[in-house]
Amino acid sequence: MHDRTVEQEVYWRFSVLQRVVHLVVMFAFIGVGLTGFSIAFSSVGSAQTFVWFLGGIDSVRYLHRFCAVVLYLCVVAEILWVLYFKFLLRGNLLGPNSICFGVRDIKFFREHIGYLLGLRKAPPPFYRFTYWEKLDYWTLFLGMQSMALTGLFLWFPEFFSRFFPGIFINLAQVLHFDEAILAVLYKFFIHTTVRHLRPEVYPGDWVIFTGKVTKETMMRAHPGEWASLNAVQQGSAIADK
Amino acid sequence: MASRLQTSALAAYVIVFCFVLLWQVGSCVAEEQPSECLDCHRLRNVNSNEGVVSSQLFCYGCHNEAPTAHADFRASKVSLQVKPEYFLKSAHRFVACTQCHTSVAQSPHRNVSGVQCSGCHPKIGGSPGTHAEHQRVRCEACHTDSPFVVLNVASNEVKLSRTNAKQVPISLAKHKATDVTGEEFCTRCHISNNQVGAPTMVLPSKSFVCLACHYSPLRMGNPVFLIAVIISIMGIIGMVAFWFRASVQGEVASVHRKIQLGSEVVWAKIFSREIFSILKTIFFDILLQRRILASGVSRWLIHSLIFYSFFARFALSLLTLLLQNLSPEGERTLILVNKDSSFVAAFNDLTGVFILVGVTWAIVRRYITKPDYVSTEEQDIVALVIIGLVTFSGFILEGIRFHTAHIPPEVALSAFAGYVISKLFSVVHVGWQSIYGYMWYVHALLWALFIAYLPFGKLRHIITTPLSLLLGYKKE
Repeated sequence: MHDRTVEQEVYWRFSVLQRVVHLVVMFAFIGVGLTGFSIAFSSVGSAQTFVWFLGGIDSVRYLHRFCAVVLYLCVVAEILWVLYFKFLLRGNLLGPNSICFGVRDIKFFREHIGYLLGLRKAPPPFYRFTYWEKLDYWTLFLGMQSMALTGLFLWFPEFFSRFFPGIFINLAQVLHFDEAILAVLYKFFIHTTVRHLRPEVYPGDWVIFTGKVTKETMMRAHPGEWASLNAVQQGSAIADK
Repeated sequence: MASRLQTSALAAYVIVFCFVLLWQVGSCVAEEQPSECLDCHRLRNVNSNEGVVSSQLFCYGCHNEAPTAHADFRASKVSLQVKPEYFLKSAHRFVACTQCHTSVAQSPHRNVSGVQCSGCHPKIGGSPGTHAEHQRVRCEACHTDSPFVVLNVASNEVKLSRTNAKQVPISLAKHKATDVTGEEFCTRCHISNNQVGAPTMVLPSKSFVCLACHYSPLRMGNPVFLIAVIISIMGIIGMVAFWFRASVQGEVASVHRKIQLGSEVVWAKIFSREIFSILKTIFFDILLQRRILASGVSRWLIHSLIFYSFFARFALSLLTLLLQNLSPEGERTLILVNKDSSFVAAFNDLTGVFILVGVTWAIVRRYITKPDYVSTEEQDIVALVIIGLVTFSGFILEGIRFHTAHIPPEVALSAFAGYVISKLFSVVHVGWQSIYGYMWYVHALLWALFIAYLPFGKLRHIITTPLSLLLGYKKE
């Protein structure tokens, strides 16, 4: 238990926009997965029950597309944010606190594996995002592009078959299905395990919902960022009054 | 041992020989059976290309020949010839005849129910805005190229006419679809003095802003609505920008920082126990209008007559839109989309009357009885007049429509107010079919004015009052 009488020093890790986007993506992703797999595995009894519950196949198709559009709107929001960050806030897109991969990540990866194998005494001084967090983000962000493209082929086959041979529709169906399985497996198993089932945060990491981390977490999980913040004493926030 | 083996082999040989012999004889007998019966009485699998072609060929047996394919209509012979070379160019070339003409495969061979499109196409599909307005028009009346249509008052249906303008019987067997990308085909009904009860003008689709009161598709519609929406959005942005000129939690300069701090406060409130106090405010102060009731029962009644009517209509149109997308073929969807269905017609008229009563009461109180506690500003009358005129023009439109479209009384009576107005209009013999179009634009422009005026005058309270109530809720 934390001592609640002492005001803890907290660091903002995620803005409200990032928290909202994560929440919306979370629910839309679950929605897309449930509806999509009940369409794909329509012969399974539980899928039929689910489809019946939602009011029939027309309903499920509509909800699948609705969730997919919401999901992609989040991608659009991210892109708009990057433009705003770059051109209005004059931010640095490739700095140490960036979500983009850098050469540093290769070094950190090697050192981290070394630490896990017991060859090093301490983990590398990670900055704002670790390499597996970056991987989490980019798998979804890039996966969304191909899911959206193949999804559009399946949504408007008449339109796309004006420009592409009919085999592209079949191809889109296979790729959409296969990548859906990949994405769901990744998010529900790897993402959930890596984020929430690690001993440090078990049974759940609330940072994406509260947006803030304690000083101890910061020093332990993001020592690189913590060091850089304390060098100039900025970015730390007082606990919400 | 050897002899037993030989006997067994011989027996097996005899059995196999007899079986093969029987098989051959059976096949010969089957081949010799007359095959004429199966030609007709075979249920073809029309879900396969083979079944479709076989079914089509069977119909072509008669309908490809000019002398055999005809019907007697009003003492003259009408051609029922379908030319394969023509039909094979149509969108339905891979569809069996009996899939659309569902009632013809019977004795006596006649077309009882007409062509059926709804087996494959949703009734309110494709262009839902247009289809919702044309529910009593049969699909083929617009989608085939025959230009002659007729209104059957008894069945309240607009369908293809079997005669031309000179009452000479015509063939409807061409199977040529109309090009519906343009609007030219609309003029087969929408012309002056048409007999099917259509307005003279071809009117645009409803816009999504009409969802406040009516079911409408999610499209912009007429450019006037686009202009109104742009003005409204700019007004709202201006309003919000004005709010953010004040300091937020001590921050005075950076708008970015103000939004950041403000959103952080909102987030913290939503994910805390205070959310219950906020929900309580939403329920009692915003939904039940407790504060207005505290300031006077008549005030609450006037406001509720307008507020709840709009609220209920908006809720119903949203529900209809949702159902139309979730289950376009559903029984309830078709009832809710049809504005002449008894429930929707009665609901719309009742809420419309409530709004008119509320507006009239408010005007009387503000400008005639003038109690001391009512302070009136100029912008009050603007808001009241816009709302009143929108509703009033809506009733006028309904009355004209019932009168010109010859809607049968048993259908029209559910819309009790519109029906009375239609009876009043039926006394006056003027060009109601032309007037309808102009009246429609008056109604639509008034609503566009409402949308554009929303963030500027009295109507701004629709946005600001709930917000200020939420910001000033009491912690418990």
